[in-house]
Amino acid sequence: MDSNLRIGFIGAGNMAYGIAKGVMQSGDVPPSNVKVSAPSARNFGRFQELGVAVTHSNAELVSSCDLVFVAVKPHLITTILSEITDHVTRKHIIVSVAAGVTLATLQGLLPFDTVVLRLMPNLPCLVQQGALLFSRGTWARQEDGDLLRSLLQHCGLVEEGPEAWIDIHTGLSGSGVAFVYLFAEALAEGAVKMGMPSALAHSIAAQTVLGAGQLLRDSGKHPAQLRSEVCTPGGTTIFGLHAMEQGGVRAATMTAVETATERARELGRKSVPTATENRK
Amino acid sequence: MSVGFIGAGQLAHALVKGFTSAGVIATQRIIASSPDTDLPTVAGLRKMGAILTTSNKEVVNKSDVLFLAVKPHIIPFVLDEIGPDIEDRHLIVSCAAGVTISSIEKKLLQYRPFPKVMRCMTNTPVVVREGATVYATGTHAEVEDGKLLEQLMASVGFCTEVEEDLIDAVTGLSGSGPAYAFTALDALADGGVKMGLPRRLAVRLGAQALLGAAKMLLDSELHPGQLKDNVCSPGGATIHALHVMESGGFRSLLINAVEASCIRTRELQFLADQERISPAAIKKTTLDKVLQAVSKVVSQIAPYSPPPQ
Repeated sequence: MDSNLRIGFIGAGNMAYGIAKGVMQSGDVPPSNVKVSAPSARNFGRFQELGVAVTHSNAELVSSCDLVFVAVKPHLITTILSEITDHVTRKHIIVSVAAGVTLATLQGLLPFDTVVLRLMPNLPCLVQQGALLFSRGTWARQEDGDLLRSLLQHCGLVEEGPEAWIDIHTGLSGSGVAFVYLFAEALAEGAVKMGMPSALAHSIAAQTVLGAGQLLRDSGKHPAQLRSEVCTPGGTTIFGLHAMEQGGVRAATMTAVETATERARELGRKSVPTATENRK
Repeated sequence: MSVGFIGAGQLAHALVKGFTSAGVIATQRIIASSPDTDLPTVAGLRKMGAILTTSNKEVVNKSDVLFLAVKPHIIPFVLDEIGPDIEDRHLIVSCAAGVTISSIEKKLLQYRPFPKVMRCMTNTPVVVREGATVYATGTHAEVEDGKLLEQLMASVGFCTEVEEDLIDAVTGLSGSGPAYAFTALDALADGGVKMGLPRRLAVRLGAQALLGAAKMLLDSELHPGQLKDNVCSPGGATIHALHVMESGGFRSLLINAVEASCIRTRELQFLADQERISPAAIKKTTLDKVLQAVSKVVSQIAPYSPPPQ
C-alpha cells in the first residue's frame, strides 16, 4: 500500500471512529495521513487522541485526501455529496457508509465516473470485531476493492459482494448484533430466575456469547457440529435445547433476519431522491 | 443351529423374511408357534418354508436360539409355560418392548440355574434387511452368545450391543422410527399430490428422497446440519421450505415423539413388572387361547381375573 495514502472521514461519529481505529491499527497508515471533518468539534476529542487531524470543511478534507469515507446519517447524504462534488476527481475513492443509500444514488450525486464503493459495517467495528460487507460501484475496479479490503482488515471480517447482498448483511449482521443482545439478555434473565445475581449473570452471559462466537469462528466447524459436541446424552444441554426448539427460536431468528432485510430493501427504495437536480 | 420363534406375528415374520433372504439360516431350521393359525403372518411364514405349530413346547425342543416374539404382557405366561423345557443350549432372546432381562431371568431361574437371556430391540425394516437392532446381554449369556445374535441380526441390518438401560431410548428412536418415517412419507406424498403429482409417483419419489438422504448421511462424515446446508442454495426453494418447517416446530415435534415413545415404553415396563395387565390391552380371543394352551400344560395357573381397580 502507498504509505502516502491519505484517508479522510466526513462525519465523526461511532462508525467513523471505529473504522479509523482499524485503519491505523496495521501501521500502514500513520495518523498524520488521517483527517476527519464534522460541523462541530464535539466528537473530535477521541480522534485527536489518536493523532488524527481535524477540520470543519468537507471540501478541504476531500481536496486533501485520496480515499474518503462518507460516514454521515443517510438523510444528510444529498447535502454532503452536493457540497463536495466539485472537489471530487478521478483520483478519488469515495466509500459511503450510509445505510440504505444505493450506489446508483451515490453515483448520481457525484461526477460521472467517480470511483464509489458502498460499505456496510456493524457496531462491533468499534472494538475491531466488525463484520463488514462492501460492494463496488460502476467505476470501482478490483484494485480499489482490494485497497479498501486491506485498509479495513483490522476492523474485523471484511468481504465483498454484489450490492444485493448489502441489505441481507444489514439484516444478518447489522441488526443481527441487536438479536444477539436480546439473546444475551434472555440468557441472563434465565439465570436470575434460577437464583443468580443479575450483574454476575449478565457478565457471564456476555462472556458465553463471546466465547461461543470465537470458537465458532475459529474452529471452522459447522455450528450444528459444535452444538452436537456440547450435548452429552441425557445431559443438561439437550434438555435446554429441546425447550428452545419447542419455543421455535430457529424460525423466529430466520424471520427476524428476513424482516430486517426486507425493511432495509424498503428503505433503500425510499432512499435519498435521485439528485439530478442537485448536480452542478 | 435352529432358530425358534414363540409368536408368529409381524416381528417373527419380518425377522424370518430377513434371515432367509440373507441366507443366514435355512428355512427348514426355523420353527414358529402361534395359538392363532389364521394370522396372515402365519401364512406368510409357512409360505417361506418355516415350520408352524401351535405348541410352544415343540418350538423350544426344536430350537437353539429362541426368540420371544410375543406382546410384552404375554411374556410372563409364556415363560411359565416353557420354563421346564429350557435346556443349557438355549439362548433366549426377548424382543418384547419394556420387558427387562432381570424379569425374564427371575422367571426362568425357577426352572434352571443359569438361563442364557438376551434382550433385543429391533424394528420392522429387518424385513428388507435394513433393520436397526440393539441387544443387551443377560447375566449368564456368554460373549459367544452375543456374537451369535449379532451375526444373525447383522444379516438383516445394523446391529450393536448396548447397555440395557438405553433400550427404551432406542425403542423411541429406531423402534418407532419407521412409523415416523411412514407418516412423513404419507404427508410428503400429499404435498406432491397437492402440487400436481400422481399419487404413486409422489410416494415413490418421497420414499426415494428419504432413502437417499439417509444413505448420504450414513456414508458421510458430515453433520446432518452441514448436509442440509449443502442442499439449500441461497434464496432458493429449499431454504424457503425449511423455514416453513421450522415455523411449524418440526424439530421439536420429532424430539417430542422420540421422548413420548421412550416414556411410554418405560410405563409399559413398569406395568409389566407388576404383572398388571389392563384388560383393554389384550385381545380377548388371543388371551383366551394362550390361557387354554397354558392351562393344559401347567394346571396350577389361577384362572384369569381382572386386576383390582
